[in-house]
Amino acid sequence: MRRNGTTLTLGHLRRLRTFIPALFLLGLLALFLSGCDTDTPQNTFDPKGEVADKQADVFYWSMWPAIVIMTIVLGGLLVIMLRFRERDPEHVPPQVHGNTRLELAWTIAPAILLLAIGIPMVATIYDLGRPPSEDAFRVDVIAQRFTWEFQYPEYTDEDGKPLSVFDQSGFHIPAGREVAFYLHSVDVIHSFWLPKLGGKLDVIPGRTNVLWLRADEPGTFSGQCAEFCGLFHADMTMKVTAQPQEELDAWAAEMLQ
Amino acid sequence: MASIAVPKRSPLSEALKGARRAAENSSSIWSWIATVDHKRIGILYGISAVVFFIVGGVEALLLRLQLAQPDANFLDPDAYNRLFTMHGTTMVFLVVMPLSSAFFNLMVPLMIGARDVAFPRLNAFSYWTFLAGAIFLNASFFTGDILNGDLGAPGGGWFGYAPLSLREFAPGHGMDFWMLGLQMFGIASLAGGFNFIVTILNMRAPGMTLFRMPVFVWMTLVTSFLIIFAMPVIAVALFELTFDRLFDANYFNAEAGGNPLLWQHMFWLFGHPEVYILILPAFGILSEILPTFSRKPLFGYAFVVFSGVAIGFMSWGVWVHHMYTTGLGTVANSAFGISTILIAVPTGVKVFNWMGTLWGGSIRFRAPLMFAVGTVAMFTIGGLSGVTHSMVPSDYQQNSSYYVVAHFHYVLFGGAIMALFGGIYYWFPKFTGKLMNEPLGHLNFWLMLIGFNLTFFPMHISGLLGMPRRVYTYNSDMGWDFWNLMSTVGAFLIALSVLVFLYNFFLSLRRGKESGPDPWDARTLEWSLPSPPPEYNFKEIPTVDSRDHFWNTKYREDETGRVVPVLAGGVVEPEEEHGDDDEHGHGIHMPSPSYMPLIASIGFPIVATGLIYDYALVPVGFALILIGLFGWVMEPATEED
Repeated sequence: MRRNGTTLTLGHLRRLRTFIPALFLLGLLALFLSGCDTDTPQNTFDPKGEVADKQADVFYWSMWPAIVIMTIVLGGLLVIMLRFRERDPEHVPPQVHGNTRLELAWTIAPAILLLAIGIPMVATIYDLGRPPSEDAFRVDVIAQRFTWEFQYPEYTDEDGKPLSVFDQSGFHIPAGREVAFYLHSVDVIHSFWLPKLGGKLDVIPGRTNVLWLRADEPGTFSGQCAEFCGLFHADMTMKVTAQPQEELDAWAAEMLQ
Repeated sequence: MASIAVPKRSPLSEALKGARRAAENSSSIWSWIATVDHKRIGILYGISAVVFFIVGGVEALLLRLQLAQPDANFLDPDAYNRLFTMHGTTMVFLVVMPLSSAFFNLMVPLMIGARDVAFPRLNAFSYWTFLAGAIFLNASFFTGDILNGDLGAPGGGWFGYAPLSLREFAPGHGMDFWMLGLQMFGIASLAGGFNFIVTILNMRAPGMTLFRMPVFVWMTLVTSFLIIFAMPVIAVALFELTFDRLFDANYFNAEAGGNPLLWQHMFWLFGHPEVYILILPAFGILSEILPTFSRKPLFGYAFVVFSGVAIGFMSWGVWVHHMYTTGLGTVANSAFGISTILIAVPTGVKVFNWMGTLWGGSIRFRAPLMFAVGTVAMFTIGGLSGVTHSMVPSDYQQNSSYYVVAHFHYVLFGGAIMALFGGIYYWFPKFTGKLMNEPLGHLNFWLMLIGFNLTFFPMHISGLLGMPRRVYTYNSDMGWDFWNLMSTVGAFLIALSVLVFLYNFFLSLRRGKESGPDPWDARTLEWSLPSPPPEYNFKEIPTVDSRDHFWNTKYREDETGRVVPVLAGGVVEPEEEHGDDDEHGHGIHMPSPSYMPLIASIGFPIVATGLIYDYALVPVGFALILIGLFGWVMEPATEED
């Protein structure tokens, strides 16, 4: 009885083993699909502005070829493992030392493919790397562990001091207009990041980096510090609301009261 | 030896001689402490690395527990920050580098037909200095009020960005321990790097030209060159940080005219070659395992070697890809963007050549092969995700996010660590004479592969969903809960796989099957020796006539081109080795054990402790270093009888 049971289990296990990789991949795929909730506040796949849009495009140019190559390599490995598995322990295959033509091909082909995605990449670097345009709306961002401060030189009080906002969830910018963020740090290095509007730029003491972004539509955008800055780095978050210019002006006037 | 004028024996030199005698007895603990045998030093490196792998792994599990759920309070932010700093530092400097060093030490002399490395005592000095630094760094935990959960360890991240690492923002001594500990690893690595370059260039057996060397030896050579050029860069950066922290210099203080970005440039100018210091030894291991288990020579030896060399060169021209978001401008970002995507070319060549090696082979599904093929697959994913964020504009989104965490774990865990595990399974029999348990090895592999993917694949997603790295917690409305929970579950699966490994290791050590000299029917010289090899390795230094010298003693091609075994081939050599018992290698002079490297190494942590707490200790430490070095120079290399 016992022996029978044991043989059965072993047989089952052996048959199961061949399916482990397939089961594993299927499981991953299922999990991947079940967890795909795109409606999250900092999703980089859900761009809401020109900059984030173009950056997502660049990502797709490299992501799709990467997925194709991954499939070829992983699938190829699987096929090779099955096809060339040892059948006869005495068998010694022909001792092939290489194939120069083939190897040259898989040196040159990837180089061409990489340069092919590299050229539009450089174009996008220059496209997004230009200085902000003349009519951009200027905001001075002051990062201090572990809060953000937005200063609005366009809105000043009677003494000529710019409007300053410390409310971490109450920052405002115009929608549909380029915004130039002038980034200042008073202590350590931080990084200014509003994922749905665009990638990050570091906020470095002793220098002023300038990042321009544009929110296509009104909305509220979530962001946070992306360079480790100490104890409460995780809590250095912000909410930025983009709204039409008139509403923004009204908001600023009210704030200055 | 008698020709050297030895001054009149003092009691001290008599005592030292007595101690060395004690170390000659190969079963005493002193024989390990004073050893200069490359195999023993390799084993010491390996054991230390595995111990620290467990330490770094426990740190990772604590981090994952904190992140398993949003708004968790398992760790306070301070503890979290210190633990991720120590996790990163430990895994890079105390696990992957020393584990690679273990293989350099164990394998290189055997593979090139040498009796030891060029400088055996310098080799011992490397190990002890590494261990001194490792213990010193981890001692920082106890400088805080650890019983109340207040860890004293460094908390500035493993790349220690200034000005966060300066005294103003990192009070306490954690970062002091970090920078001085790293300096010690640098000294240890430099000594090792020079040692292996000299060994490989000068001590190859007759006939073993550079292009007949096993690829693992080639990768050791490239790695050693990277080490000797990269370590001085980080040494300078660390000296500057030391001056900033201890003596109020202002290298990195913007307010006083310093430049915080200077640190980043120097750190990554070291740090990117460092990445290849971590991965190239793994590539070397793969290039040994895959041919053995597919019973074919490595496909395209020259391409694999030259792509490794090319990676070594190119690794110096890509460091700014860690700094795309610092605002260096369009020209710098474009240039480094292009250089970074092009480093994928030589890396891809290796992957394709490994596939070519397997193609047409007769593949034996043994544990080392499973780890090797798993590594190729995981490294491919890591390499491809690397290409996606070498693309500068998309990196603006992914930099410092969990996407990057996913990427470098695919490269350094799926790549380096898995390959190193494969190496352990592969060469375990050579040094113990026992085979590791095969079913447990497969269980180890599958648990690790699944746990690894479950941990790190979701990090791609959480990163693209905007989760920054190094956050001690997150809000539940961000959509990251599910992915983080998965990562935590996966991390515990990895932990389980490591437990299986440890069980297998000790079980096999005690009750493993006898392996014999050449259990895998392998191709390289070390398998021509008995397992474990005698202290002097080769009784007679072999003369090498081809790349597959050892294989050719076992197999030849018949008239039709079929590969057939040579009758009584291969097995002859070990038999000869045992043949004349009366000789037993007594005529071979091996360097005597020495305590001097250890004495010199102990000086370093004393100097470092002195710099932090009391300058009076500094001269004491330096005195010890000098005593060690002088004793080393003065003592006879081989004991007179």
